[in-house]
Amino acid sequence: MSLGEYRVLFLVVTGILALVVVSPALSRLLVLPRTEFFTELWILGPNRMAEDYPFNISRNHNYNVLLGIGNHLGYCGYYLVEVKFRNLAQSAPDSFNRTPSSLPSLFNITAFVADEGVWELPLTFSFDYGYNETLLQVELHSLTLNDIALDLGNDTITWDSGKKEFSGSLFFELWIYDRTNGSFQYHERFVSLRLNITSS
Amino acid sequence: MILAKNSCVACEITMWSIRCTLALAALILMLSVANALFCAFAVDETDVRSSIAATEENIVVCYRAIADADEAGATTTALLAALNEAGELLSRADLAYKMGDFDSALDFANQSQERLNGFVAQAVVLRETAVQQRYWDFMVYVVGSIVGTVVVVVGGFAVWFFLKRRYEKAGRVV
Repeated sequence: MSLGEYRVLFLVVTGILALVVVSPALSRLLVLPRTEFFTELWILGPNRMAEDYPFNISRNHNYNVLLGIGNHLGYCGYYLVEVKFRNLAQSAPDSFNRTPSSLPSLFNITAFVADEGVWELPLTFSFDYGYNETLLQVELHSLTLNDIALDLGNDTITWDSGKKEFSGSLFFELWIYDRTNGSFQYHERFVSLRLNITSS
Repeated sequence: MILAKNSCVACEITMWSIRCTLALAALILMLSVANALFCAFAVDETDVRSSIAATEENIVVCYRAIADADEAGATTTALLAALNEAGELLSRADLAYKMGDFDSALDFANQSQERLNGFVAQAVVLRETAVQQRYWDFMVYVVGSIVGTVVVVVGGFAVWFFLKRRYEKAGRVV
């Protein structure tokens, strides 16, 4: 081998060795900066799948779902999930205007989620209600959520002749604590379960 | 005869008045005891409200502490679980307060406060440990690695020039 060939070989070996040694530093320095900061909010069925959601509701029967939050904000999040129930005539959260429902919260669930962390809460709920055959309406007495009884103030659901059901919606609005203002702001996210309250 | 009858009536009246006085005294005593017990165990709405507000403030303080620790790269799983528990208890306290169940509200607020005992101190320790860990991580993996690379490159050239000189002296590869 000539000196020139040895030089090339030496340079290649030194280069490879240098790359191996510098790789821990490169793995820490050559990281693409995060550009999207957001929060995920989801609700899953009893089998942790986006299926088999409860729909036809019977009186005092327990139903299970899973509520989850994924934090990608770049900092630890302090969230508040407002649990609300509405019949179809009442105020709903607006996805386009990004406003929450004007209905009062039945219960607040707090969640602290680390950056890039996930928080999940199994929810078991049931409804206690009466059925008025004369007026064709359901009178809601209470919602029991994870063994906590919540007063529904005898709200009523009237018969929807188009869909042929007593339609209601159990929904969860996400609020986040703003460290600058020191107050909770609507985080422009909600998930809902459309329910048919049956007479049984 | 009439005199004896009159004295008997007077005696009965006296006995009756003594009984009335005793009954009245017993009633006053019972009422005082009941009032004392009520005062001792009754929960004032204002106290409950201020207890809930204090818990809310404490939770925010703890949240800020754990957010700092999380930002420093600390593993905050255990502390987050405790904070989530405290938050759940605070929600229950709020609900009980709205429903007028002040005893339960105070109990839940106190339980929530108990969960947060020593929380900030633990979060600060976690943050400091994470800061130190991050420093050493940087020193070993970034600074150490770059210094190692410089050593490899400079050493490589030194070895090359040494071997080259020997090759040129000898007129062949060593």
